Formats: sequence, C-alpha cells, structure tokens
Amino acid sequence: MIECRSLGARQGSFRLDAVSFAIPTGQYGVVIGPAGSGKTTLLEVISGVVSATSGSCWLNERDCTALPPEARGLGLVYQHAFLFPHLSVAQNIAYGAASSELAEEVARRFGTDALTSRPVRALSGGERQLVALARAFARRPSVLLLDEPFSSLDPRRRTIVRREVRALHRAWGLTTLQVTHDFTEAGLLGDVAVLLDGGRALQSGPPEDVFRRPASPYIAEFLGAENVLAGTVRVLDDKAPDWLAGESATLAHGYRAIEFTAGPLTLYTVGDFPVGDGYAVIRAEEIVLSLEAPTGSARNHFRGVVSELATLGALTRVTVEIAGVPLVASLTTRSAKELAFRPGMVVTASFKAMAVHLC
Amino acid sequence: MAALASSLLLLFLAVPIAQLISAGGAAGVRQLASDTELREAMSLTALTATAATLLGALGGTPLAYLLARRDFRGRAVLSAVLDLPLLIPHPVAGIALLLLLGRESALGGAMIAAGLRVVGTPLGIVAAMLFVAAPLYISGAREAFAKVDPRFEAVARTLGDTPLRAFLRITLPLSRRGLTASAVVMWARAVSEFGAIVVLTYNPKVASVLSYDRFTSFGLREALPVAAVLALLALVPLTALRTLRGADDGATP
Repeated sequence: MIECRSLGARQGSFRLDAVSFAIPTGQYGVVIGPAGSGKTTLLEVISGVVSATSGSCWLNERDCTALPPEARGLGLVYQHAFLFPHLSVAQNIAYGAASSELAEEVARRFGTDALTSRPVRALSGGERQLVALARAFARRPSVLLLDEPFSSLDPRRRTIVRREVRALHRAWGLTTLQVTHDFTEAGLLGDVAVLLDGGRALQSGPPEDVFRRPASPYIAEFLGAENVLAGTVRVLDDKAPDWLAGESATLAHGYRAIEFTAGPLTLYTVGDFPVGDGYAVIRAEEIVLSLEAPTGSARNHFRGVVSELATLGALTRVTVEIAGVPLVASLTTRSAKELAFRPGMVVTASFKAMAVHLC
Repeated sequence: MAALASSLLLLFLAVPIAQLISAGGAAGVRQLASDTELREAMSLTALTATAATLLGALGGTPLAYLLARRDFRGRAVLSAVLDLPLLIPHPVAGIALLLLLGRESALGGAMIAAGLRVVGTPLGIVAAMLFVAAPLYISGAREAFAKVDPRFEAVARTLGDTPLRAFLRITLPLSRRGLTASAVVMWARAVSEFGAIVVLTYNPKVASVLSYDRFTSFGLREALPVAAVLALLALVPLTALRTLRGADDGATP
C-alpha cells in the first residue's frame, strides 16, 4: 500500500501541498499532471529522498515519513535512469540486488543481458531506461516508484516492456506508482489515477472515473475533453423521465433528471448536481454524427454544420457548429470517409444523457 | 586594442618565468646535486606540502560535501569564513597562527607540554601551508561535488545504501577527478607559500624561504638557481592539472 496523508514538502521554491491519496496493496497507481506539477517531487518524497515537511507517508501499513530511503523497501526509477557511469551495466543491475540470480533473471527479462559488455555511457536513452528498471526490480522491492520509465523506448519496445513491468508487478504483488504523461498508458496500466497540479492532488480514483467524470473543467480540459461548456443547471424531476429509456443507468443513488442550458444549447443529463452554474463535459468519442435526422435512443440531438475536419491517423475529429457553439466529435477515419464529411455539410450530432458529465 | 592589451598581459605573465627558468634552470638542476641545503629545502617543501594537502583533504572533503549538498542556516557565513585565509595578507595569516600556536598561547603552551612544538619546526610549515591553501581545496572540492547530480545518491539510497556508503560508492568515485585537481591546486599553493611560513618557521627553510634568504644574503646571482628550481617544481602540478582537466567527470544521467 502507498498512502499519502496531507503530505507536504518543499524543494527549492516548489511546494507539494497536502497531497492525499491511497494505492491499495498490489495495485498499480498512475500519477498524471502537467509539467511542473510536482510528479517527480511526489515520488521523491514517498521514497524519502526529499523530506516531508508535513503530513505522513505510509507504505505497507507502516508510517515511513521519518524513515531513510534505504529502510523503506522500495525501488525508484527516474526518467533519466541515473545509471552509475563508473560501473558496468552488470554492476549497475547487481547494485543492491537481492541476489545475483535475481539480478541475472531481471536482466534477461528486460533484455539487458545483451548489453553487459557495453559501457554505460554508450547506451541509448531507451537502453538506459531498461537497465534502470532491471536495477530497481533486482532489489525485489515491495513498492515501486517509476518516473516516466518508458519515455525513451520506441513504441514496439514500450509495449513489450510495459507488459513485462505489469507482469512482474502482478507476479510479485508489488504496489506501483508510475508518473506518466501518456493518458493511454494511464488507462492501460492504472488501477488508480492521481491527478496532480501545482503541487496538489486535484482528483484520484479509477482512471475511468477520473477521465469520464473530471472534478473540474480544468481537469477535463487537461485530460483532453474536447467539449467543456459553461451553463446553468435546472433539475427537472426526481423520477426517471421517458427519455431515460435505453440509457445505461437509471435514477439510482439520488440522481435526478437535469436540464443544462449552455447559451443556445439545451442538454439533458442525469446526476446529483446542485441547481445553478456549472460545466458540462462531453468527450468527443461519445458524440455520434449522422447525415439523417436524429434516430436511436440518444436524448441529445443537434443539427449543425461541419466547420473543420482533422485526421489523426485512424481517428478523425470533426467540429460541428451548432448555433455558433462548436462541438467536437471523434470517429474513425474510415467512417468519416464513408460518410464523406466535408466542411459546410449539415449533420446531426447525438449523444446520450449519460455522456454528459457535470462539474 | 583589446588584442594588443591581451598580448602585452600574456607577455608580462610568461616572460619573467621563462626568463627565470632559462637563466637559472640548468644551473639550479646542476646545483641540486652539490647544494645539500637546496636539496633539503626542496624535499622539505614537497613533504610539508604533501602533509598539508593530506590534512586539507581529510578535513576539507566533508566540509566541501556539506557546503555542496546541504542547505542549512549559516552556510553563507561558513563559506565566507573558509574564504577568509585567501583574502588576508599571508604574513598576517602567519601572525594569526603565531597567536594561536605560539608558546604564549594556551593551545601552543599545551602542545609544547605534550611534546608538540609548532613554531620553528616543520609542523609550523605544515600549519602555515594548511591555513593558506586548504580554502582552495575546499572550494574546488565543493564545485566537484556540486557537479555530481544528487539523484545518483538518491538512487543508491533506494538500493539500500546508507548516506556514507552512497558517498563512498557513488559520489566519491564520480567526483574523483575534481577532488584530485583540487588537491593538486592546494599542493601547488602550499609549495609556493612564503609569507605565513616565514613568520612561523624561518628554519628549517623551505624552498621559498631559502630563495629569499639567498637573495637577501648573497644577491640575485645566488638566489637565481634556487628560484628557477622552485619555478620548475611548479610545472609538475600544472602538468598534472592539464591531464586531469583533459577528461570529463561525466557525472550526468
């Protein structure tokens, strides 16, 4: 388990401020946040390399706040690897290893056994990261802290190494916390996501929740939500209305039917959001575009004009202007071609009430 | 204009030394075989400078590490105190040491009672050299430690090292060249010291005191070979420094 309770620290002029979250034993946590948000500092405070100025840090039910790094039983991998340049690759991996057999085994698993004859200075950035991972695993830690550990690997190798790390994490029952910039990686690896900004933990929980139900419009935009609309919330009813038929959730947990007005647009959703001003977040992949008039079970339908198309490999982002309000939809490039979308075309944008998240 | 000024300065710095070595170098080296006093002065200089450098490294390395790595109250004051011996005139440094270590002082008296006489002995030479040259070692060593990213140590700590073990296994090897270069600079400074030594220990004579003694007693002709040999001795650390600086410490991620 990794648990931070109101953890604070200072590093130069930067402050980590009352950070609280928990990664249960055996789970894989991911820390996401913009550059300079304190992600590396957080790992350094958990590892004991940087002292906490307030709060506490618990590892495997033990208060480690005052313990030195060598007594915390964890492994730390920096993005820049920090391999010891005066030692060989094999010596780096064996440094602090639980046993020479384990050092050899992890070297084999990460493919660094082929690098042993190379001087550390001659390794590429990706190779250095592999050696740094092998070095940390060879110690057989119970908690693993990884700071962008795959950033210098090519995409193919990244997938393989990510799988290897995840496999060892599961097999050894490790509790892992990884810093990443890559939202896909966060979704793929993480059981728990922690969103950090300005030295504060803004939100934590399952990645699915953090991505689909961001706690603020800022988080939504940071996480790449394309459609964030400011507006006013009005509660319609506390009984399930007709338009909820076909939705994936019902009005359980005190949810109510809500009307959200954002300028000329009126959206329908469900939730427990209080009446008044708020923001509606709709992820681009939740919006379906069609050439015909609205069909299907989705509650929200708008006719609009395609203003922009942007193809990003297999996906195409289509911007539709609805009474002057741009909504971005994401669909496969193949579908976009089949439907022959082009600027100026009139289309229907549809999304379910459950696709609208209020914050 | 700038080129002319630079050229003139370069000539001003290089010509006297070159002239000194060309005029007295060969005679000085020949004299080493016949002049016992010169030979003894040279070996005393080398030995006392080496002893002072070893003491400087022993006490200065932890201080330099502390200044490079830890942020503590009074760090600026400590830095200033350590630089002070570089700024005061060296005879003044000698007088200050005499006050501390002379027979009149409590410490000097206690040392004499314990059989350790400083003033007028090689110990006085070592003390003077240490006082004026150790700040150079500390400053260089501090820079050498600062060049080693502290995250190397951080990783070593997470791999089970205590702070001392991480220092010995990681930081020390990574800053080895910088520390050696600082020791060489300190040794060279110690060899060239005169002002503080002459106050504490005129006899036995180190090379710088001997060259001054020959100059005041017999004139330039007698002083020249001694001075030239001392200048040649200064080339040894200079060459060592060039060799050390040729290679990079390489303490980068």
